[in-house]
Amino acid sequence: MVRLQLRRNRVRLAAWLVALVTMFAYVASYYQELFPTQAALDDFAAVSNTPGIRALTGLSPAANTLGGAVWTKAWMTIALALALGVVFLATRNGRADEEAGRTELLRSRMLGVHAATVASWLVLACLCVLVGVGITLVSAAQGLDPAGAGLRGSSVLGASVAGVGLVGLGVGAVAGQVAGTARAANALGSAVILGFYVLRMVGDLGDGALTWASPIGWGQKMEPFAGDRWWPLALLALLAVVLCTVAITLEARRDHGAGLIAARPGRAWAPRRFASPLGLGLRLQRGPIVGWTIAVVLAAVLFGSVAEAMADLLDDAGGDTADLLRGAGVPALLSMLASMIGLVTAVFATQSAVSLRGDEATGILEPQLAGAISRTRWALERLLIPVAGSAVLLAVGGAVLGAVYGATVDDPSQSAAMAGATLAYWPAVMVLVGLAVALFGWVPRVAVPATWGVMAAMWFATMLGEVFGLPDWVLDGLPFAAVPYLPLEPFSWTPLVALTMVAAVLTWSGVHRLRRRDLQPA
Amino acid sequence: MPTAASMAVQVENLHKSFGHVHALRGLDLTVPTGQVTGFLGPNGAGKTTAIRVLLGLLKADSGRVALLDGDPWTDAVRLHRRVAYVPGDVTLWPNLTGGEAIDILCRISGPLDPRRKHAMLERFELDPTKKARTYSKGNRQKVALVAALASDAELLLLDEPTSGLDPLMEAAFTESIREIKAQGRSVLLSSHIFAEVEKLADRVTIIREGATVESGTIAELRHLTRTQVTAVLDGGVDGLATLPGVHDLTVLDRHVTFAVDEAALPTVLARVAVLGPRSLVANPPSLEELFLRHYGDELAALSARAERQP
Repeated sequence: MVRLQLRRNRVRLAAWLVALVTMFAYVASYYQELFPTQAALDDFAAVSNTPGIRALTGLSPAANTLGGAVWTKAWMTIALALALGVVFLATRNGRADEEAGRTELLRSRMLGVHAATVASWLVLACLCVLVGVGITLVSAAQGLDPAGAGLRGSSVLGASVAGVGLVGLGVGAVAGQVAGTARAANALGSAVILGFYVLRMVGDLGDGALTWASPIGWGQKMEPFAGDRWWPLALLALLAVVLCTVAITLEARRDHGAGLIAARPGRAWAPRRFASPLGLGLRLQRGPIVGWTIAVVLAAVLFGSVAEAMADLLDDAGGDTADLLRGAGVPALLSMLASMIGLVTAVFATQSAVSLRGDEATGILEPQLAGAISRTRWALERLLIPVAGSAVLLAVGGAVLGAVYGATVDDPSQSAAMAGATLAYWPAVMVLVGLAVALFGWVPRVAVPATWGVMAAMWFATMLGEVFGLPDWVLDGLPFAAVPYLPLEPFSWTPLVALTMVAAVLTWSGVHRLRRRDLQPA
Repeated sequence: MPTAASMAVQVENLHKSFGHVHALRGLDLTVPTGQVTGFLGPNGAGKTTAIRVLLGLLKADSGRVALLDGDPWTDAVRLHRRVAYVPGDVTLWPNLTGGEAIDILCRISGPLDPRRKHAMLERFELDPTKKARTYSKGNRQKVALVAALASDAELLLLDEPTSGLDPLMEAAFTESIREIKAQGRSVLLSSHIFAEVEKLADRVTIIREGATVESGTIAELRHLTRTQVTAVLDGGVDGLATLPGVHDLTVLDRHVTFAVDEAALPTVLARVAVLGPRSLVANPPSLEELFLRHYGDELAALSARAERQP
């Protein structure tokens, strides 16, 4: 049974293991280069001591050591990713198999009620331990431990990650028993993990008491390279065992295929607004819209809280980074952060714009156009979502970034200024939307991969083009390069009007073509 | 023949190609107002393509297409208020419920009648509170059917609407189509289930490889075929085989079976009466037989090719 689970999941298991350990190795080696001196590490510790960092990633008590700095950067991401990954894998092997009827097939043979479940948990527990061991080894190899302290810090580090992963396994196991569908199990499991994360976030921002209410907080409080505590690991392991025992008890009591929470019946009727493409589009894209808004606001809070301190750090670092930012000082940094928010918004807008082709490919567009809705009306209403949504996201992102930064330098006018700086990216984002529509109209079959390809190329070129020495004409030709680099550069209408016109022409061409061509489901 | 003004659908010499594939090559199809027209053909014959052209989802390459009183390509929005459509392969929004999908589909083309919706939900025994993700193919089809039948569209375009339904639900479907016909509304019913079309349709159009091969009322089409007769004759089969209009006569003891052209039926039956029949069974031709006749040469060609291969 264990062998079957290994065989079915070998690619995923290997992918999670390699991805998490490699990510840690990358951060560790990068930080080793970035902070060659103790002065640089002291700077880092000072920069990181903000509410934003404390809330998002947690702050190591020993942030001025190499190990502490790497912990601050990578631990939360890796621990969260492992916990969530284990939840998803537990669902895949548990509830999803049961839903698909594979478990039924196995259980009808000579197989105990718990055999498949326990086998999958064993495999996943091994994954957690292996990730922990891998991180310990990388950490030891990179010499993250303070000189003369042995490998205690690295061992505690690996153990803390593995411990949080094991709790994730327990959560996933219980969620798989409680929920009646794989989707619900994943949602419930991730919600609990994120709840743990928020608990510790509130705790870290306050007096730390609530941090102790969260298993992720227990992992944090193992404090590798600082307190080096082992005993919270016992708490984590105990909780994992308790949760798995609860899951086993539930599995023994319930019917095959049933969950504790029955699938909730939905509404038997739809509100009137769903009959319009805009209303329906808003409902169907509710998840992405909320998700991207949260992502942009979180990013803006983080950027805003570190901007002032980061600029000092970068001034100290000198030459290379000034190239990267195309200038020096706080304005250059703010300009770069504004362009980052522009890039993130572009992903949202692209996702929303390619959903037009998505609807055509799945065939769901056909019954809509068989109703009394013209193709033009359908396309334009649906495009209102990326068009207006991007403007809102940019304005909110800039305003939050400016407000948080403004609070650190006592300048309330920053909020409006930064909202303006990010909104300047709206025409550039619209060019991408226009491109998506034009591709949708003219070459529907390749429109989705082509649009994402352009998007990815633009991210790459905007963020790293200068580092990789791409020719200037490529870089200057990008829609994002044409946008005035506010607040570093002066504002100018000309490129914005030009970009908007390009976007309008592309959109018009795509919609016009859509009106004249056959509908082409995939 | 009904006049052009009373045609809900009129298609003449319709051609449509996708790249190298010539999907429709000269299709003729009419749906008289107030009648149910069957649209028969094997998979890949071009039925779905024809219906998509009728809905203005595809643009015709050449030929004349009239839907109600307009052109489905240029007047799509105005015409679609009066048309209901059930696709052959129903796709729904996976995270909306069946009930939500029905409301959306109804309201897109006209007002929603909650009472009719409720009645249809009951008739087809569909739970509207479940997410579409959890529906089987049959249930997704029911969603589209309920939405179409709850509307007051003048014309229903149904693309193999019963392919996922169980026999009980097929009966519910038959009942619904009879009601719609009684209200004077028109139906185009594409299918490869002959019994269903035979039960419901006034007229039938048979299509093969994108072209109409046969078209007419069920009665007219029966003219074109033969009645299958099985009899037990005490007086032997003297002279029966040589009568004009008698085909494929086989005798086993006193049991005789043969096929008769409809025109020759009176003379043949008179002859049978003289031969002392003990029992007589005469079956009208089913659409299955009509169909086999039209696709017979195709089948023959297929089997010939199979034989030629070592």
